[in-house]
Amino acid sequence: MNHTPDPTTAGHGGAFDPREAAALLEQTTRQARRQFAPAQPWLLAIRAVLVLAALGAVWLSVRGQHPYHGPGASALLIVAAFVIINFTATVAVRRRATAGVSGRSRFSPAEITVMVVAYIAPFVVLAALGDTGDNHSGTLLTVPLIVAGLAWAALSAVRADWRSCGTGLAVAVTGAAGAAAGQAGAWAVTGVGLCLTLLGTAAVIARQLDRA
Amino acid sequence: MKDSTATTGDLDPLIHVPTRLKIIATLAALPDGDTLSFTRLQDLIGLTPGNLIIHLRKLEEADYISSSKARNGNASITTVAITGHGRAALGTYTRALRELLGGL
Repeated sequence: MNHTPDPTTAGHGGAFDPREAAALLEQTTRQARRQFAPAQPWLLAIRAVLVLAALGAVWLSVRGQHPYHGPGASALLIVAAFVIINFTATVAVRRRATAGVSGRSRFSPAEITVMVVAYIAPFVVLAALGDTGDNHSGTLLTVPLIVAGLAWAALSAVRADWRSCGTGLAVAVTGAAGAAAGQAGAWAVTGVGLCLTLLGTAAVIARQLDRA
Repeated sequence: MKDSTATTGDLDPLIHVPTRLKIIATLAALPDGDTLSFTRLQDLIGLTPGNLIIHLRKLEEADYISSSKARNGNASITTVAITGHGRAALGTYTRALRELLGGL
């Protein structure tokens, strides 16, 4: 079968070896998937370790309290630092991955609003109920996780993103298990649950990225 | 049997060019319906704008990709996306490549 020589094959003389083509196809697909991935496995693994360390530190500071009066200022500072680092790194990586991309990969303003409301609303409701004191800090940790996890799962289901849907459900289950563990136990259960969720998500994404 | 008679002639000549293979494989890595800006694609492929335009034009003529221009203030942003036809062509090309390499 003869084809008209293609001037845009310059440098390859039109003879592009099929083995080279297969290698190039695999390499390009793998690189592109990595570039466009909004969550990187290495970042998720780091977040898993950090959340375990942050919530574990709080649990160590509250586990012997009878009655429970909540974590000290230094422990809360560790948690606040984790939340800020986590949020900043996630947004930066996502922004880099979706630079120049438009369409379904990007969240719509409505989706962003739903997530922000899902995270803030539980604090507002708990404040209205008067459940915001230090002795309710376990509740303040777990209830927003349940609501935000379910909201994330619902948004992901609408997008038919079943991996993210699973992550959202795992976060919600972690929050529920933490809530059942009591005020002090909530910190340990939530730390372990979120760590496992993040590690599991990292493993699934790493597998997806490696499958060219 | 097709496996034993597959030749390089079975490979879509429009895709079987290193640069165009990279372009179409990169665009296919995006979810269906997503578009990519010309500048990001250029960064990923590592081509000069002129070269990239030549290859994109060829792919667009075959309806493998679509492009559109949008105005953003004074600047205009060109975006490209793989079409359903282009995705199918890449699938056919990949299968042909597998058959060919399996027969070698």
